[in-house]
Amino acid sequence: MNPLDLLYPAGGAWFAAALAGLLAGSRRPGLLACCALSALGGAAAAAAGGWSLVYGNTPVVAPGGVAQTMTGGPLELQMTSLAGVFVAVLGIVAVAIAWYAPRYHQPSRGTAVYLAVCNLALLACLAVLAAGGMVTFLVAWETMSLACYLLILRHPRSGESARGAFWFLALAEIGFLLVVAAFVILSTKTHATELDPIAARAHLVSGGWRAAAFLLALTGFGFKAGLVPLHVWLPEAHPVAPADGSAFLSGVVVKLGAYGIALFAFRLDPVAGAWPGLVTMGAGALTAAIGILYAMRERDIKRFLAYSTIENMGIIMTAFGAALIFRAYRLSDLYAFLLIAGLYHVANHGCYKTLLFLEAGVVEHAAGTRDMDRLGGLVHRLPRSTVTTFIGTLGIAALPPLNGFVSEWLIFQGLFQGFRTGSHLTAILIVLAAATLGLTGGLAIYAFVRGFGIPYLGMPRTRQAAAAREQGQPLGGPALLAVACVALAVGAPVVLAALSRAARAVTGVSLGRLLLPGQLTVIPAHADFSAFSPTYLAVFLTAACSVPALIYLAGRPRAASVSVPVWDGGMVSFRPRMQYSAMTFSAPTRVTFDALYRPSVSVRRASDDDPAGRSGPVHYEAQVTPLFERYLYRPVIRAVEWLADAIRPLQSGDVNLYLLYVFAVILLAYLVGAL
Amino acid sequence: MPLWFARGLRRGVVTTRYPAKPDGSAESLPTPPSFRPRLLTRDVVDRMIEACPGPALRRADDLLIFDVGACTGCGRCARVAPGSVTPSGEFELAATSRAALVKTIPILGDPR
Amino acid sequence: MTGGPTAGPAAFAAGQEEQEAARHLREQIAAQFGRSLHIRTLDTGSCAVCEQEIRLLSAPHYDLQRLGFFFTPAPRHADLLLVTGPMVRAFEMAARKTYEAIPGPKVVVATGACALGGVYQADPFVHGHVDAVLPVDVWIPGCPPSPLALLHGLSVAVGRLAEKVRGLTFITGEDGGGA
Repeated sequence: MNPLDLLYPAGGAWFAAALAGLLAGSRRPGLLACCALSALGGAAAAAAGGWSLVYGNTPVVAPGGVAQTMTGGPLELQMTSLAGVFVAVLGIVAVAIAWYAPRYHQPSRGTAVYLAVCNLALLACLAVLAAGGMVTFLVAWETMSLACYLLILRHPRSGESARGAFWFLALAEIGFLLVVAAFVILSTKTHATELDPIAARAHLVSGGWRAAAFLLALTGFGFKAGLVPLHVWLPEAHPVAPADGSAFLSGVVVKLGAYGIALFAFRLDPVAGAWPGLVTMGAGALTAAIGILYAMRERDIKRFLAYSTIENMGIIMTAFGAALIFRAYRLSDLYAFLLIAGLYHVANHGCYKTLLFLEAGVVEHAAGTRDMDRLGGLVHRLPRSTVTTFIGTLGIAALPPLNGFVSEWLIFQGLFQGFRTGSHLTAILIVLAAATLGLTGGLAIYAFVRGFGIPYLGMPRTRQAAAAREQGQPLGGPALLAVACVALAVGAPVVLAALSRAARAVTGVSLGRLLLPGQLTVIPAHADFSAFSPTYLAVFLTAACSVPALIYLAGRPRAASVSVPVWDGGMVSFRPRMQYSAMTFSAPTRVTFDALYRPSVSVRRASDDDPAGRSGPVHYEAQVTPLFERYLYRPVIRAVEWLADAIRPLQSGDVNLYLLYVFAVILLAYLVGAL
Repeated sequence: MPLWFARGLRRGVVTTRYPAKPDGSAESLPTPPSFRPRLLTRDVVDRMIEACPGPALRRADDLLIFDVGACTGCGRCARVAPGSVTPSGEFELAATSRAALVKTIPILGDPR
Repeated sequence: MTGGPTAGPAAFAAGQEEQEAARHLREQIAAQFGRSLHIRTLDTGSCAVCEQEIRLLSAPHYDLQRLGFFFTPAPRHADLLLVTGPMVRAFEMAARKTYEAIPGPKVVVATGACALGGVYQADPFVHGHVDAVLPVDVWIPGCPPSPLALLHGLSVAVGRLAEKVRGLTFITGEDGGGA
């Protein structure tokens, strides 16, 4: 059975879910029906994705009939192994969101539209991943962008919501233009619109055109993937979207940007030389570092997670870039290995980032705020959510034994092989990228200790946080993703076996035997370099952590023990506001990286006569200079506005002038045609 | 730094061996007084009590009640009644009960 | 281990049972704290000269660490609370919290004439003596107590040395022993 055969039910289920949502979503049963269909679609997609990893590339199928007329061109579907990972992630995320939605959303007309749009977006993502031809890909891509725009714009009356959604749409459209240009170049030069022929004939295209197509694709898809400086829509759009919408964006949509780059880099557009790999890797490393540095400054949980997504996409891009470099130097084993590591990180990030966003939604619902400095002590009020969030945090901070550790370890092991390229410059650059990723990893741990500790641990800083309750909060969806995280870690050998089959379909290199010599061990990158076993590591760490617990249980004092208050330095009244706040916790990094943040600090006192603040409250405000908005986007926007102003005189409103334009153009066309 | 080091080597170890070996350096510091009962009269005692800035001295009939714990070693009682009051030289005064620090001294100087 | 009769300066009891109890207590304390003791100092409003003398204990001349005594700022890690000052009323809550934060078994040592009630009398601002708020086990007189007196007091508190002042009469003369 073809994996494509599993995609039809998935797509059909999502289409039906969209209809059900639109027609019946304003009442509870309709909402539940829509979510059930969505979950079924997700399960089918996950199965299809997993199956396609092992199966390999399917042939292109052009289901004619209605589908053809709707898109106005040939609808070509093909399920490739490369897309398989992304489809599996899409499936799992869809199931989790569908499980989460009934308790999160209230049935209403707005919800009905939202659900319809959400399922439409899922369908469009599936079509992008299963596209066998250029037109299908582009139509599906644009549909996905528009659907996501509507998804973010759940509350159209809120100015903030509109602004965030607009940033998303604007950058998505610019990216789309560049992607169209890239596809058009390849398609015209290879005289084909199906992806397989393009891939087969790509080597016939001249180097300059191939390079141009690659750069256009990198930039165009980079807008979606969140590469710095094309990332600015992420922190604007994620906070204003509903929790499952943000989860979908971070879990799937940005991955599609990575998929697009992978598609061009590994399949459609093999550019000669190491420079494409170096550019991608450099962009990835820079993105990772800048992403996490900006994440450190965020108080809003969702903005923080959005920047963390940027960081992780940077890591994925670094892996893909390094894979390209190794391909250029004909080190096929390492090429395949880093591709596998990058895809593994895609799967992992899809799981734990979605989980964290869904949990951010739970927190927002329970405590009424997303601001870390107004939360605290949620571990007592939302115990099960805390456990799930903790698993997600362990994963994203890349701590053993969870999945983030496994994939980042593999990426590092691959990068450490840089010396095998034989070129000093390349080796140094790869080492620099590895060092940047190392910095990122350390900062990520710091950032996520803050991201988990400040809201969940300690004491509640406000009454809202103290009043948070777990009844009625969605627990199933995030729990499923937590289980997936653990499974991806413990079952790493299985995952790697499947991914190496997928890599064989893309690179032609079969790493299976080298990577997994048996007994649940993984040999990353090279036989003489290192080896480790994620499964045994997970078992061992769990056992090691249970030893202190057992010692405590065996040796704890049996007599009655006295409970005394926390030692607070003997203060007369300790207020929860005196705890660490999110900003003070990240103060050391803010001070160190001052040059990047360029904070503008303003301090206002009621009266300057008394600097001790006795005359009234002291108002302290510190703002990060938005570097990219101010120095990149604003000048571009102003230039466009200036250009528009300059052209405005053409649009005078005078009919006679317009007729003159028509006449002039016809004359010009006639002259050009005659010559 | 080398000068300090050389000086230290020349001086040798200055750490006291107390309490393993006795250390006489505290004996020159102010210590609680010691009384000569035969030279104490009620008048002298009353003058000492007035001179004492704290509650260390009290008189109950023919007994001088001296609270060692309350004594600051100021020496005003000695100045008022020289001869009958001398520094005791005792500095190892730690007590495990407060009562052990309250001493009774008979006033024997009055003619009977 | 904690507490003991809080007798004011006026009471006086030197019975056999008390001495027995004191010896038993000393043995208990020696068994618990004999080898290593962590001290937390607490200033309840002193003039800070006692603190100077306490600080000198860490200096090379007196070096309390050679005796197994260590200073710690965290009451959770402390065994002994060394209190100076006349227990200003505004500090009472902090003193109680510090005492409660020290896990048992614990010893409270009051040192300095202020803490023993010799300088300030009870008034709206000050209790006058540490006994009023905390259960004191060992009292060390002095104003300030010299570092040697403090070392002696701490050694008595852990049962290494016998108490000496009980036997002193502060009487000199032909038929007086003692000092």
